[in-house]
Amino acid sequence: MIAIEGLSKTFETSGGEPHLALDGISIDIPKGQFLSILGPSGCGKSTLLYIVGGFVPASAGRIRVDGRAIAGPGPDRGPVFQEFALFPWKTVRGNVLYGLLQQGVPRDQAERRVSELLQMVHLSRYADFYPKELSGGMKQRVAIARTLAYDPAILLMDEPFGALDAHTRTKLQNELLSIWERDRKTVLFVTHSVEEAVYLSDRVMVMTPSPGRQKAVFDIDLPRPRIRAELLLNRRYQEYLIAIERLVQDGGEDEA
Amino acid sequence: MIGRALKSLILHSASLILLLGAWEAVCRAGMVSPHLLPAPSAIFLRLLVQLADPAFLIHLGQTVLRIAVGLALATAIGVGVGLAASRNRLIGRLLEPLVRVLAPIPKIALYPALILMLGFDHASKIALIVADAVFPILLATYHGARMVEPKLIWSARAAGASERQCTFTIVLPAALPSIYTGLRIALLIACVVVFLAEMISSSDGLGHLLIRAARSFRTLDMFVPLLAVSLLGLALNGLATLAGRRLLRGFAL
Repeated sequence: MIAIEGLSKTFETSGGEPHLALDGISIDIPKGQFLSILGPSGCGKSTLLYIVGGFVPASAGRIRVDGRAIAGPGPDRGPVFQEFALFPWKTVRGNVLYGLLQQGVPRDQAERRVSELLQMVHLSRYADFYPKELSGGMKQRVAIARTLAYDPAILLMDEPFGALDAHTRTKLQNELLSIWERDRKTVLFVTHSVEEAVYLSDRVMVMTPSPGRQKAVFDIDLPRPRIRAELLLNRRYQEYLIAIERLVQDGGEDEA
Repeated sequence: MIGRALKSLILHSASLILLLGAWEAVCRAGMVSPHLLPAPSAIFLRLLVQLADPAFLIHLGQTVLRIAVGLALATAIGVGVGLAASRNRLIGRLLEPLVRVLAPIPKIALYPALILMLGFDHASKIALIVADAVFPILLATYHGARMVEPKLIWSARAAGASERQCTFTIVLPAALPSIYTGLRIALLIACVVVFLAEMISSSDGLGHLLIRAARSFRTLDMFVPLLAVSLLGLALNGLATLAGRRLLRGFAL
């Protein structure tokens, strides 16, 4: 379980003035929950994710994972970034292998695991390609495989499908859901798409823009496994979309 | 395919051919005395003759050896120090003023002192190459390492790599394109500097050959080492391009 308590973040701007990015975020995320963090750009939702990842220090408040305060990054929290952040000098195989070798997994065992992971994300044929030779959707699949390789209990996904075209995005959402159904990792999923948040999540936290505060948290009570074509006609799904869309629109006009 | 490669080659060498053609024409027309400016064809022929002479090859070898050792040392020092300075704030702070003060000094001015300290042989010339070539490599490494996308490092840290491991498994390879650029600049500097050092004081090397020829007014033999060092630079540059293509395969360049 992740317990976030009174979390705030103040940045020093280049002008020297402090900028409050996150203000008093408190939320508990039970093990295995898929939580989306929804908000307009500039609301600090990515910063929140980076703090949970241990990449960026908080200014106030604390985060505990399974009762222990986090101290820096760790293999229990695996990030997936919008920009993929693949290692350009490594092949697809090398990228996915990295975490396993860091974890001290013997080479032959690690190679086998990489083959499984690449099969899972449908990239077996591209093992020896370099990231620059792949499409955006393929790159993000590699990034997801690279993170799943060291089996983190928590996935931190920072608008992972934000840079992809609509078709690829839908496809990857479904792939992510089927992976999640299998191992039920805790997922923190940052997005600015209401539709994506409702479709994927157990819970959606809506944030206010600048400084980012919690505006509301919705429990998404929809059947799983989720099938988009069926959901589109689901009355409750539509109501979630409308309610959250209204909340996001409200007061957010001055930020774009 | 072949047509395009040929076209690119012609386009590439057009300016050079034009220059050599004009030079040759001026000489052939008798506008300058061959004792002042020999024709390029004569220099080429003389170089070909010299290349069959073991004595010339030994001089060439000495120059190549100095460049190779000097560049290797400059790379080791420049990459090591640049990486340390970029990853450790304290080291960076301590080194910055030092680099700012030392980098603009014309290193050739240090050469007399280097001779006194290290003697006339290889050591003083290699030291001079290192002193001149280390800065572009150091600065390129430093800036390349500073520019590494933090999310690459975060991805590695989350996978279990320590900050220290990140320095070698992420920052160094991610900075390679920048380091490579610094290295190519250093390569050219090394060619220039070794020649100068050999001209100032040496008993061997291409620079020494030029001075020896100049002292006895053998104009043609003066131009041969110049042509040789130019071709040497071209060859080393080509080698660097090949190495870069392999080394930087994954980067979008």
